[in-house]
This record gives sequence, structure tokens and C-alpha cells, in this order.
Amino acid sequence: MTSQFKSWLAFAAIAIVSGTAVAASLDLGRIFGAGKDLATAATGMDEKDEIAVGREVAGRTLGAAPLVADPALQAYVNRVGRWVASQTERPDLPWHFGVIDSAAINAFAAPGGYVLITRGLYEILDSEAQLAGVLGHEIGHIVQRHHIAVMQKSAAISAGAQLAQARDRSYLVNNMIGTGAEVFARGLDKSAEFEADQIGVVLAARAGYSPFGLVEVLHKLSARGGEDASLALLFKTHPHPGERLTQLGQALAPRAAALPSGKEPPIRSVSAAVPPPAAARPVPAEGARALQQEEASPAPRPAGKSGLAIDPGSVLRGIFGR
Amino acid sequence: MNPMLLSCLILAMLAAAAPAAAQRVTLERESPLYAEPRLDASQVTQLSQGASGEVIGKQGGWLNLKTPGGTGWLFSFNVRFPSQNAGGSEAGSGSALGRVFSPRLNVTSTIGIRGLDEEDLKQASFNAGQMKLLDDYATSKQTAEERSRAAGLAPVKVDYLDAKK
Repeated sequence: MTSQFKSWLAFAAIAIVSGTAVAASLDLGRIFGAGKDLATAATGMDEKDEIAVGREVAGRTLGAAPLVADPALQAYVNRVGRWVASQTERPDLPWHFGVIDSAAINAFAAPGGYVLITRGLYEILDSEAQLAGVLGHEIGHIVQRHHIAVMQKSAAISAGAQLAQARDRSYLVNNMIGTGAEVFARGLDKSAEFEADQIGVVLAARAGYSPFGLVEVLHKLSARGGEDASLALLFKTHPHPGERLTQLGQALAPRAAALPSGKEPPIRSVSAAVPPPAAARPVPAEGARALQQEEASPAPRPAGKSGLAIDPGSVLRGIFGR
Repeated sequence: MNPMLLSCLILAMLAAAAPAAAQRVTLERESPLYAEPRLDASQVTQLSQGASGEVIGKQGGWLNLKTPGGTGWLFSFNVRFPSQNAGGSEAGSGSALGRVFSPRLNVTSTIGIRGLDEEDLKQASFNAGQMKLLDDYATSKQTAEERSRAAGLAPVKVDYLDAKK
């Protein structure tokens, strides 16, 4: 599970199930009993459900940040992303790719094949191989169903899935999203991110690109870390790109010599006719103070009235699906 | 092609690709420095963790590094670049890292900029029009393959790094 997907679910949950009683009110121990295989209870979610959840989350995210108004750019990113996705075990998902109009450096994977990358991240890339690596990382999350895996570990989610045995699919979707938020707000294991990095490298190589595009992007992110307040926060609460480089390097070292060198085509630029991201605005002094305060007092995540705990600022923290 | 001419061409290409100013990097883990960007090339020297050198070129995943013990090649994941000193302005364009990895000007600075924050997302509602656009931009598997192959990309069989997958 990606923490950015966590973030997405968190905000989607607010929008969708705000004020409704969710799993927090259920006595999960009584429902499932100790030792019951919770994962089994969650397997009611098939691929169609996965896509429905992802579509809802993607559509709401587009409500926050629309696609960059550059059809040629969007077609280009879809061509690259679809080609990389075709190198996976899930080549026939309804893969969608989009560049969204935000200056934040981020990328998102929602279940079922929805991948969005911010213009802020896109514009620090300088080769198609780097783009392939970034998209490959997100694709890796979706192919491995990291989000679903976390749902399956969660008793709350399992409760949602069991409720979802009701025939109404939208009811299922709402419950998956709603009950997902609480567990997703708690921080997730880093292994999914490290795994997605390794997958991204391999998928790019399979698609004929240099396998090292993602490594280069991680270098860029790692070097930016100390500079940007919002990225500093991101790095504080998630694996630092340097740590990801270390993990990826350890995995790559024994294989690097055997990997194909691949191609590094130039990346398409955003059309000059498109104005800068609408969301590109300086952080007000107040906002900067708030970030510092948040940093100074980590971890308190009081449950809201809806029973959903939201991780403040978590949306900004995701890089490559984190 | 005449080997001499080829050498000259390669040197010219390397010179063109070399950063305008050398970027100092630090070894994250010990690594041999190879005479060429191949693991079967001869070893120039063995660099220990914490050693440093100047990046004078890049080729695929390899960096060309100038060190006190000699000049050679190593995989980029073995080193770390220092934090950029952007001074709050254009983060990518002026940086030495940008000169290594990015011949292209990075036009968007994110220093002091935030976008798409939690409030934006909380207040967002499903945008059917944008979703329609996202659907319209999607490419079929076949079309993506045709266009990728036309761009010179061919699929390669590569196992996952972790054989268990």
C-alpha cells in the first residue's frame, strides 16, 4: 500500500463517508474472532471492485488538480506508461495515466491501473527513461496490489469487505474507501516502497529503457531533501530517497552488470502554451510555521468526528506513491 | 569507421556530456573504480566508503569519477550527491546535479512552493469532466506497443531483482 494512496483514500473518505459511522463502531474482535483469517474475509474484493475504488479516488483527485491542458503531453505519457504497464503480469488492466496541474513533486497510484504524476515531478525529469522508472514504480504498486494487501491486513477493512458482500458495488466502494482511511493514516511499512522501486527499475528495462532512470530520479530527490520545507517533512515521515537508493543499490549491485543498457530518449516538454501550475503558490509564512509545528510534534492523529484519523500534510509526503 | 576517428568522436561526445563544473560525490559504499563502464574492465582502484571524487561524466547507470587514486567508472547508486544549495531559487537548473543528470532546464522550482495540499483534496469532488478526459487520453495496449516500437523501443526479457517475485 502506498501512503499516497493512503492519502487519497483519506481525503476521499472525508468526501464520501463524512459523518457516517464506519468500522470504528464495530467490535471487530467479536465479528471475526481471534485467529480468523482476516485476509480471507477481504478477498471479496475482485478486480472490478479494485478498479471501481481506484476510479473513484482518481476522479476526486482530478477534482483537486485537473489534468495539464496539453493533449499531446497526456497522450505521450499514456503511450510511455501503457507500454511499461504492458511488461507486467497485469497488462490488461484499464491503465490510465495523467499529468496533473500541481507544482508539488509527487506521483500517485490508485488501484486498478490509475497513475497520476504531478507536473512538478514531471518537470524535474530529463529523460523518457526517468519517466518510465517513475511510472514503473507506480505501476509496481498496482500490479502487486500493495493497497489491497494492506486492506487485507486490517480488521477494519476486512469488516468493510464483509459488508461488501452486499450486492451493491457502490456500497462496497464506499466502505472500502471509508474504512481504509483510518488504517492508512497510520504509516505503512517501507517494504512496499522498496519493492516498487525494484519493480520500477525492471519494468523500465523490460520496456527497452535504461534501468537506471529511477536511480537518477532518486538522486535528484535525495539532493533536494534539505532544501524544501514540504519535502523535508515528506522525508521525515517516509523513507528518505537516500535510504531508497541504498536499498535499491543493494538489490541492483549483483544484477547491474547483466541488465541491458537500454535507451534514454529525450522526454517531451510541457507545451510552452500551458501556463504554470495553478497551484504553484508560495507558502505563506503562516503555512511555514504550521509545517514547523507539525514537524515538532509528530504522530498525534486524533480521530475526527467521523472516526477517521487524517494524517496532516500526508498528501504532500508521497513521492512515487508514498 | 577509422578507430582513431571513432575515439575522437567518443571523446567529443564525452566532452559534450561532461558537466560544466565537476560535482563532488561521496561513496555510500565501497566500490571498485573501473577503467571503463563495464564490470569486466580492469580496476583502477578500490574506493572505500566515505571516499569522494568528482563526477566528470555519465553513461547509463555509470558515473565517470575523478579521484586522487585515479579516474574511472562506477555505478551511480554507489554514491551520494550533496544536498543542493539552491538558495530558494531555481532548484534544478543551476545545480551541479542538474548538470550531471539534466541537460534540460528545469523550469519549475518547488522551493517554498506547495500545491495540491490536504485541504485542496478534502474539498475536492469527483470531476466527471476531467475523468472523461483521462479516459480519452488512455491508449490501448496495441497502440502503445506500435508507437513504442516505432520510437525504437523493443521489449527485453528481464527477471525481477528478487527472484521470488
